[in-house]
This record gives sequence, C-alpha cells and structure tokens, in this order.
Amino acid sequence: MKLDVKELIKELSSLDGPSGYEKAVLELIEKKIEPLVDRVWYNKVGTLIAEKKGTGSGRLGIFAHADEVGYVVTKLEKGLFARLETIGGVDPKVIFAQRVKIYTAKGIAKGIVGVLPPHLQKEEHRSKVPSFDKIFVDLSCSELGEYVSVGDICVVDVKPVELNGKLCGKAMDNRAGCASLILAAQLLRNIRNYQDVYFVFSSQEEVTGLGAVSIAYELRLDRAIVVDVTHGDVKIPQFVQIKTGEGPALCVGPVIDKEFYSKLYQTAQRNNVKIQIEPAPGRSGTDTDEVQLSGTGVRTTLVSIPLMYMHTPVEVVDPRDVEETARLLALATTIE
Amino acid sequence: MYLKELTELDGVSGNEQQVREFISDKIKDKVDELKVDVLGNLIAYRKGTKGGRKIVLAAHMDEVGFMVTNIEDDGTLAFAPVGGVETQVMVGKIVRINGQTLGAIGYKAIHIQDKEQILKPLSIDQLRVYIGAKSKEEAARQVKIGDYVAFTTTFDQENNRLTGKAFDDRAGCSVLMDIIDKIDRYEDDVYFAFLVQEEVGLRGSAVVVEQIHPDIAIVIEGTTAGDDPELPEYQWATHLGDGPAITFMHRGYVVNKRVYESIIEVAEKYSIAHQAKRRTAGGTDAARFARTGAGTAAAVVSVPSRYIHSPVSMIDLNDYNNTVLLLQKILEQGEAFAR
Amino acid sequence: MIDLIRKLTEAYGPSGREEEVHNLILQELEGHVDGYKFDNVGNLLVWKAGTTGKKVLFDAHADEIGLVVTNIDERGFLRVESVGGVPPHSYVGHRVRFPNAIGVVYVEGETEEERKKNFTNLNLDNMFVDIGARNRDEAMKVVPIGSFGIYDSHFFKNGDLLISKSMDDRIGCAIIVEILRRVKKPRNTIIGSFTVQEEVGLIGASVAAYSLVPDVCVAVDVTDSSDYPKSFKRHSMALGKGPAIKIKDRASISNRGVVEKLIEVAEQEKIPYQMEVLTFGGTNAAALQRTRAGIPSATVSIATRYVHSPSEIVSLEDVENTVELLINYAGKGV
Repeated sequence: MKLDVKELIKELSSLDGPSGYEKAVLELIEKKIEPLVDRVWYNKVGTLIAEKKGTGSGRLGIFAHADEVGYVVTKLEKGLFARLETIGGVDPKVIFAQRVKIYTAKGIAKGIVGVLPPHLQKEEHRSKVPSFDKIFVDLSCSELGEYVSVGDICVVDVKPVELNGKLCGKAMDNRAGCASLILAAQLLRNIRNYQDVYFVFSSQEEVTGLGAVSIAYELRLDRAIVVDVTHGDVKIPQFVQIKTGEGPALCVGPVIDKEFYSKLYQTAQRNNVKIQIEPAPGRSGTDTDEVQLSGTGVRTTLVSIPLMYMHTPVEVVDPRDVEETARLLALATTIE
Repeated sequence: MYLKELTELDGVSGNEQQVREFISDKIKDKVDELKVDVLGNLIAYRKGTKGGRKIVLAAHMDEVGFMVTNIEDDGTLAFAPVGGVETQVMVGKIVRINGQTLGAIGYKAIHIQDKEQILKPLSIDQLRVYIGAKSKEEAARQVKIGDYVAFTTTFDQENNRLTGKAFDDRAGCSVLMDIIDKIDRYEDDVYFAFLVQEEVGLRGSAVVVEQIHPDIAIVIEGTTAGDDPELPEYQWATHLGDGPAITFMHRGYVVNKRVYESIIEVAEKYSIAHQAKRRTAGGTDAARFARTGAGTAAAVVSVPSRYIHSPVSMIDLNDYNNTVLLLQKILEQGEAFAR
Repeated sequence: MIDLIRKLTEAYGPSGREEEVHNLILQELEGHVDGYKFDNVGNLLVWKAGTTGKKVLFDAHADEIGLVVTNIDERGFLRVESVGGVPPHSYVGHRVRFPNAIGVVYVEGETEEERKKNFTNLNLDNMFVDIGARNRDEAMKVVPIGSFGIYDSHFFKNGDLLISKSMDDRIGCAIIVEILRRVKKPRNTIIGSFTVQEEVGLIGASVAAYSLVPDVCVAVDVTDSSDYPKSFKRHSMALGKGPAIKIKDRASISNRGVVEKLIEVAEQEKIPYQMEVLTFGGTNAAALQRTRAGIPSATVSIATRYVHSPSEIVSLEDVENTVELLINYAGKGV
C-alpha cells in the first residue's frame, strides 16, 4: 500500500477545503494516515491530529495546514449573478475568466467569473485593475444557480496537471505540505521516533491560524516543525532566491529556535538531505509564528516547500521536494 | 547604572544571548531564582515578605537591527531590517555582523549622482553592506545568510546626557538591574523579566504570563521623545528632563486605570519629576501582558529617549535616575500600591 | 427593552473607562444572575447556572470609540488622538463629552486653501477641541491630559428604528441583559461577558473566557446594514431582515457547526434571520475562539446603519428577534 507522491498530491489538490470548511480534505487525510499511526482525533476547532508514540520522552508536533484560499458569496444580484469575498489573501486578477464551483445546500452550482469582452471594453476597463467590488460570478449556466445563497463557499474549478514531472493545480499550498506529513508517517514504519510525534493537519491557517495555535496549547509541545510553502524560482529584491527541485528551505530568524534548528540542520547534512536556507527577519507568515508563543513557549522550526505562483489556481511544486521534505521530517523524529 | 556595557553589546531581536549572559552574570547571586525560558527570556525572582501578589517588572533586551538576506555575486551583502528601522538612518554607518565581522553601509558619492537621484528618497534595495570581500565565495567564508547585523555605536556621557545605541530598551534593563542592587525585599513576590523579541511583535512577553500568572505588570521602556525643532511642542510625545514618562494609552491598549493612577500618586507623594506620555503611538509588552492567559493589570513607565530606532539615541541622566527612584518607591509601598 | 437600550447607549464608556456601563448592567441584572466577577483586565462576567453542565458564553463589548486628550496648548485648546476607529469627520463642528466638560471639535486652517485641504484630508492632527478655557491651567483643571471623551449624542426612537451613539456595542449588551432577564431556569449555563477595550484591540475578549472555559462562545455585535443610498455594494445585510448570522469578516470565520445550529434553531422557531459576510472589520469572536485549546465561536449581528457615527440606527424588531434566537439557541443549540 505504498503511497505514490504524485497521486497523493493530485488527490489532495482535487479536494476543496477553504479555511473553516476543511472537512472533506481532513477526511481523506484521516483515511490515509490512520493505518500508519497509533491514534487519530479532531480537536474542537476542526484540526486533525495523528499521534505516534516514541521510544524516549518529549513531544514533537509536525504541522501542515489543510486549508486553502477560496471565496464566499456575499450578495446575489438580479439575473443570477453573485458577488464574492475572499477567504485568505487572493489577488483579484487571477480569478477573471475562471470557472468556479459553489457549494449550495442542494449541491454544487457552476459559475463563470465574468469579464467584459475586448470589443465592449472602454479604455477605463482595460487600464484599471479590478477589485472584488467589480468582480461578479455568472450563475446562469447552472441548474443550481438559483439555489446559491449568501454564505455559500466557492472555489476555482480546476484539476491538477503534470508539467514535465512537476505538479500544477490549486491548493498546492498546502496540500504539498500535508502530503509530506503523510509520506513521513509512512517512512516512520522503518524509523523509530524518539519523541512522541503529533502530525497536525491544522485548520484556518490562511485566515486566523486558529487550528495550529489551539492544538499547540493543548498538547504542550516541546518542539514543533511547521511545514508550509515558500516562493520558489522568483526574484524578491534583497532576498536569496529559493529554487524548486533543490529540496525544502529551512528558515532562520527570530521565530526559529536556534538549538532545534541546529540539530535539524546537522541531521540534514549527515543524511545528505537536499536543503536550502531562507532568512525571515521577523514573522514568517506561517503557523510557526503563533505556535512558538503558545503556552510557555515551543521550540519551533519551519520547513518550506518551494512553490511557484502562490495563491493562484496554477500553483507548481516539484514532487521531489515533497519527498525530500518527508525524508527530513522522518529523520527529524530521531532527534533527542 | 549599567548603560555603557549594556548598550555596547549586540542583541538584535532573536539574537539576545550576549545581553542575556551579561545580565545573568551580574544578577545571579542577588536573586532567589533565575531561569532562562524556552524563548530565551531571562526571568529572576525574589520572594516577598507577605507574598500576597505577583508583580512583574519587565524590560526587553533586544534592539532593532538587520539580518543578512543574500550574498551578492560582488561580495556585498543584501539585508533586511529586524524591527522598525527607517532607511534614512542606515546610510554611512559601520555595522557588525554576527558579533565579529565589520561592514560599511555605503552609498554612491554625491559627485557622481545625477540631480534626480540626489533628491529621491532612499529605498533599502539600493543599500548593501560591504565587508571588504570581492566575491560571493570570499564573503561566504566569513558570513552567512541569516546572520544578525547590529550598529556599532559606542556609549558617551556628558552634560547630564547619555548617548549611544539601543536605549530602547537597555535603559529599561539597566533600571531593573539598579533596582535589584538597591533594594532587597518587598511585600509582594517580584519577578524581573528581561524579555526577548519585543521589537518584532511583543513576542518574548507572550510566554511569560503562562509561566508566572502575574497580578500586575509594569513595563519599563525607552520611549520616544520627538522634542526637537521639527515638531511643534503640542505634538511632542515626551520632553527630556521632565522625568519618567507614564503612559495612559498606547497602540492596542488603554493602561489599567487603577495601576496608572497609583503610579502617579507615588510620584506626587515623593515629589519625583514625571510627565504623561503625550502620544498614543507605539506599542509595548504591556499590551501583551494584558491580553494573554487570564490577563494582567499592566502599565508602562519609560525613560524618554530621543532618536530611538536609530544608531544614536539620547537620554537624560536625571530622567534615568528618577525612573529608578520612582520604581523603587512603588515597590516600597508594598501591598498598598494599586490596591 | 427600549428604556434599557436608551440608558446603555447614552452611558459614558470609552475603551479603558467602562465602569459606568458595567455598573449600569449590574443594576439592570440585579436578581437575575447567580453571580458575577471582574477579571484581571476589568471584564464583567456574570452567570446563570443551568443543569446540564454545558456552558454558553454570550459576549458584548462595553466600550465605545472616543477621543483621548494628549496635549493642551497655552490658550487652553485640547489636542486629541483617537480611541478605536474614529472617523474624524464625524466630530467636525460636533461636541465631545468628557467626564467634566463638553467641548466643540474643529479644524485648523490659516488660509482658504489650507482650510480646504484640511477638510478634504481630515486628520485628528489638524483638529482641536475647544472647551472654552482661557488658558492651559484652566483647561487642565477640568480636562487633564489623559481624559477620555465620547460623542455627545442622544437616543431617540422613530417607529421601529432606534437611533443613538454606540449601538456598537451597547445593543449587544442590552440583548444579553434581556436574555438573562427572560430566561428563568436555563438548561445550559449562560455566561454574560461584558468585555473591555474591544475597539482598541480585542483586549478584553482575549482573556474573558480563560477562567470559565465555556463550550461555545457567541459574540453579539453590530454589522453593516447596506440599505441606504450607494451603501457597500457587496453587502447583503439590511434592517428588518432579522438577526444576522455571520459567516465571516476580516478577523474570523464563524465556526461552521455553531452557524448550522443557529440556522436550525431559527428555522425551527420560525425566527427571521439573514446570512452575513462582512468585507471589513472583526468582532470579539476572533479572540474568544483562541482561548486555551480553542473554543467553537460565532457572531450573531444586528444590522446597523452608519456604524461608528454619532447616530447609529438599528431595528427594534431585529433586536427582539435576536433575543428570541439566542434564548432558544442557549436552550437547545449547545
């Protein structure tokens, strides 16, 4: 029953789970990971935890958020149109001319995010960048269009594809991370973990971070490794460029525990795990920031999978980076 | 007063160990308990004679600075600020990377700038640190991505004015150390918390509440002044020489009324010069103490400081001494304080 | 309930100075609760014990936005900064009420051009308060630095519409007081949380649930009512459509399970309701849900026109339907 990394990522990406509505994603993850661990359970605010007892002492949490960015219907307009609000940070430019799915009480309605055709565009339409106040969804192409209501959740309707061995689709942020945790759990069949390991598939990272911080408080972790994604193959002024295909990036900075980082780094070196180093001069913008501060403090590290075109429907990851991340996580559980 | 030693140490947010080790060494034999927590905060404890309440006096050890974010092909280093540092104070300074390697933040000579460039405001992606290396490989032998970078200002004292870097908040740290030296026992249990990472989001303080569960917290800061010719008097935050500044409100938090009024009461009772902090901008660890765990009645007392978050700041010696005196008197009130 | 709403909305209670509001609430709840306490940051917590062991916490913030005096010039004019999200234009030419004085707020401008510029870019930095003092000393005696002021505005009723300052969030406080007055024998324990300093940073709500640790938190606050000329085009909330069950705002997403239960209860009891997505702002639910190991939380809102102005408008019918909904939710939804 060995899991194939590409199939796993594609399966996870195909499911819809915007922040606060992760149930379908978590149910699949639960199915995949339950045979590999001692027990699984959900906390009160929608986070899935899988526990594997260790041979020694202490508690290590390994986090990946299960939610993705998405949209919610805010208002219905005459003629079967709807207005949207984002869940998480989404650039309005990337939703134009996309097919979308809306989860209504009666089933999934189809919609199209409309654009004025070039023939009818005035100069003002071409030059101004639209905001969500100007965007609308056309529901008239769906039999369930009339059942769309305020509060219904919406996602872009897209299936993952393979591009020269890389995977391209929505929600690679952070299904790639979730996949790496599941693969790590699989590797733990042959590696004895020292600390008790808690694989945490957290909710709502894209909006509030509630899922991670609540379970960190409850479990009173000693250490944590947060797995998320980072911008790959793009030049950001002042910053070193992280590349896809060269392994996960280890973060350095105030939100990273120096002692734990050092052991993680040495573990990677000793085992020839491909890694890159990514500086964060302040907050990292991931669950690491709040997990570090929970309770009396947690020794945190952040491992990021390089990803292109973040928060668009065509996010790209290299499955080799996901596998290398899984390997690093499994080895990290042997740190005493 | 430990300001010379404290301000000349490097302790950018996330890299406070030099400062922590210095303070720990000086106070370890003077307190009942001393520990370093998971985040690196140094927490000292003195048991009270009546032990009714728990009071925390807090100051942060970290200063603003930079981090190396890339090593360029030409051997110069790209960097990003750690904490709030305005680009305009960065140019033409000597910095120290990772506690050892010196570097210069240079800029193109005025002779060879075109008119447009002279008038344009600086942006940080134009700046680099030059350590004397000619290539990426040469630079990488001495520094690495993620290294912390600090200003190198030395301390000076003249005319009752003290100048140097990082009075925000080594002034607070020094005040706490002076109080530890001056008085021995109080009625309440007192914790002296030397915090990390205040400048990057009030982070160190976030884990102190769950360790101590304090009743009252007083944060001692080096706060902004603004009393210079560029700002009209009614827009000043504080004025050097008018005494410790007592905050009634800052970003995200209105100071607990009972504690605020009690502090003023003590200052007036002993005729200690004091002033209200007259702008609500800026935040402190008091907000974090208030909003964490079961909550805390938190207040702020500050040494006014000109030019904070720049390589050279200034405080007044009398303000500093009056701050120590005020906190001393507060502790001497014992259980009567902020009842 | 109208009298209760009038008293609460007219009370003085800027962030950090909520005592008068708390005292009023305690008076109104006399004989209706089993106990109360003030926590470390000054939140007022009251409770009425049930029999099932389950606890639902209803939260409303007691504070309102306002101004704080930071400087006084030699002629006795006050300089102020905002306490919470104060729109400066709401004060121009209007009055601000301090504990011991009433002042008029106006704008600087030495020339026509400067005046025009300042009025277009209103900012408390180019505004001042006139309390009629002749010099700084006189002003200091009446309104010392660190004094807090609020809108000097009064309540009035216009048919179904109630108009006053600080419906945000005294209407929430009134609703919770009314719930506690009407429920004689609760099934589940009801905790009333009247929190401080929401408007400056959700300070009170960050700690309010820490000691009593409820099973569910419901914040009762205001939301935008987008039913006036060219109001926010993406909002669907309006007066008269009933309590608004919030899906999300910019600070949190309501717990899906709690939302579904609220809808179920409303449908069962035939209480009108509307769904709400707010494209800005946040409520105390964002902080309450993060308490300890996490608490499922949601917000039920009252549609309100002109939020943060001196004349916020709500529908009395909406208020009464909200009381009904929450009483039923407390009874069978938890």
